[in-house]
Amino acid sequence: MRGALSRTQRLALLAGALALVVVGFGVVRGGGSGGDARTVSPRPPATRAVATVEVRNARPFGGPRVLRFKRGDTIRFRVHSDVADEVHLHGYDRHRDVRRGGTVSFAVPATIEGRFEVELEGRARQIAAIEVVP
Amino acid sequence: MSRRRVGAATAAVAAAAVAAAPDPALAHGLVGRQDLPIPRWMFAWAAVTVLVASFAALAALWPRPRLQTLEERVVRRVPALLDPVCGAIGVAVFAIVVYAGLAGSQTANANLAPTFVYVIFWVGLPIASLLLGDVFRAFNPWRAIARCVAWGSRRLGAVADAEPLPYPPWLGRWPAALTILAFAWVELVYVGRDDPSRLAILALAYAAVQLVGMALYGIERWEERADGFGVYFGLFAALSPLRWRRGALLVRRPLEGVVGMLTVPGGVALVLVGIGTTSFDGFTNGTLWNGSGGGGGIAGFLTDRFASLGLGAENALMAAFSVGLVAMVLFVSALYRLGVQGMHRIGGRYAARDLSRRFGHTLVPIALAYIVAHYFSLLAYQGQATGYLISDPLGRGSDLFGTASATIDYGIIGATGIWYVQVGALVAGHVCGLVLAHDRALATYRNPRDATRSQYWMLAVMVAFTSLGLWILSAAASQ
Repeated sequence: MRGALSRTQRLALLAGALALVVVGFGVVRGGGSGGDARTVSPRPPATRAVATVEVRNARPFGGPRVLRFKRGDTIRFRVHSDVADEVHLHGYDRHRDVRRGGTVSFAVPATIEGRFEVELEGRARQIAAIEVVP
Repeated sequence: MSRRRVGAATAAVAAAAVAAAPDPALAHGLVGRQDLPIPRWMFAWAAVTVLVASFAALAALWPRPRLQTLEERVVRRVPALLDPVCGAIGVAVFAIVVYAGLAGSQTANANLAPTFVYVIFWVGLPIASLLLGDVFRAFNPWRAIARCVAWGSRRLGAVADAEPLPYPPWLGRWPAALTILAFAWVELVYVGRDDPSRLAILALAYAAVQLVGMALYGIERWEERADGFGVYFGLFAALSPLRWRRGALLVRRPLEGVVGMLTVPGGVALVLVGIGTTSFDGFTNGTLWNGSGGGGGIAGFLTDRFASLGLGAENALMAAFSVGLVAMVLFVSALYRLGVQGMHRIGGRYAARDLSRRFGHTLVPIALAYIVAHYFSLLAYQGQATGYLISDPLGRGSDLFGTASATIDYGIIGATGIWYVQVGALVAGHVCGLVLAHDRALATYRNPRDATRSQYWMLAVMVAFTSLGLWILSAAASQ
C-alpha cells in the first residue's frame, strides 16, 4: 500500500505546495494592497461633499448607488425625492419622511459594520446602499 | 380587436408591469444588514490555502482506509425519559410558532414565526447538529406526535397487525431533496416568504404530510428517508462526534458517521440541492445577478422576458428567480458529475452512478461550510431577535419574560470577525471533504495508484466548490 506514491513523488508534491505558498504570497502582496487602498480607505469625510441620492419617478436616478463610510465616522447623505414617502435606513433603523419635491438629510454615527439598504419604505424600493467598512 | 392591436395592448401591459416591478435585490424583510464582501487579500489567501492543503493532503494523507468502519463507544447512559421530554418540548415550540404566525402581527419583524423558521430552525439547527449530534431528531415535533400516537394505540391494545407498507426503494431520499428545494424556493423566490400566517400554514401542511407518510411507511423508515428536514439536518449530525441512541450517548471520530450515508437514490441530489440553493442565495446579492447601477444583470433580463410573455410583475420576478435557483442547482450538480465522470475513467471498474453515490457524502462538510459562510451573520445578529420575540411572540405588546425591550447588539462581532468565520468555514469544509474523499478512494480502488489518480478529479471538484463559495462571498455585495 505504501507504493501509492514514491518518496520522491511525495517530496515533489510538498515542494509544489511550498512553491504555491511563495507564489501566493507574492500575488497577495502585489494585488492585495491595491484592493485594500480601493476599498478600505475612503476619502477623508472633511473634504467630501455630502452625497445626495436623487429620486426621480420614484426611482433612484442612475440606479442605486453605494455610499461608503468608515466605522467611527458619520454616515451623512441627503435624499431629494419627487415623490412623498418614508426613507428608511435599514440596520440603523432611521426613518425620515420626505415630502414631494423635498429633501431630507441623515447624519448617523457609523457604529455597525456591514452593508445597509436605504429604501423608500412605502414603495419597498431600494434607492441606495450604505457600506460601513472596518 | 385585430391581432396587431392585441399585441400592442399586451406590450403596453407588459411595459406597465415592468415599470411597476419591485427591484429584484430585495432579500428578507427580516434582514436589514448584508455582509461586506471579503477583501481581495483575504480571498487570495483563502484560495492559496485551499490549493496548498489539497496538494499537501495528496502527499501526506494516510495510505490505508481509516474511516470506513464505524467505531463507537458509549460514554454516558441517558435517562429514557429524555426522549419523550424533548419530543414534548418540540411539539410545544411548534405549536407556539404556528400560533404566533396565524394569530400574531403580520409584520415579519414583529412576529416570532419568520425569525424562528429562517434563523433558528434553518441555520441554527445545522450548526447545532454538528456540535451536539442529531438534536432535530430529538425535538422533531411530527416524529414526537407519531410516536405518541403509536405508543398510545399499543397501550390500548389496538391493531398490532397493521404492518407498514414497504417503502419503495427507488424513491430513496428524493422526497427529502424535493422538500429542501421547495423550502429554498419559499425562502429565496416566493414573495410571501416573510408573511407569518403563510409560513404557519406551510408548516402545518408539511407536518400533516409527514404524519400521513409515517402512518403509511412506518415512523423510522419515513424519518430516515423522506422527512426533508430530518434527513437534511441528520446529514450534518452525522459529521458530529456525538450520537444519541435510546438511553445512551455515544462518541465516534468526527466525520466517520457520514461515510456511506448517501448511497440510496436521491441522497446525492439532496446534498447538491443544499449547496446549489445556498450558492444561489449568495449569488442573488451580486452584480452579475442584479446588474450594477442602472441596469443589466441576469435578474432584470429574465424578469423582462417573463413580463413580455404576459406574466404580472410579481410573477415575472418569481419566475426569473425560480429559473435562477434551478439553474444554480443544475450547475453545481454538473460540476460534481464532471468529477465523477473523471473518476469513472480511472480503473474503469465502477459505473459513474455507483461512484457518484459512493462519494456523495464527501460533499456534506462542504454543504455545511456553505451554510455557515452564508448565514453565520444572520444567526449572530437576527438570532438575537429571538430574545425579545419570545417575550412578545405575537407582536402585540406583551412582555412574558421581561425581555421584550431587548435589541440586537451589532457589536458582538464586526465585519472582520465575520470574514474570518466565513473563510475559516469554507477552508475547513474543504479539508474535511478531501479527507473523506481520500479515505473513500482508498477503500474503493484496490490499486493505490488508481486511488490517488481518481483523487485528482475529486480534488478539482472540491477546489471548484470552495472557489465558487469564496467567489460568491467576495463578489456578493459588490455593486
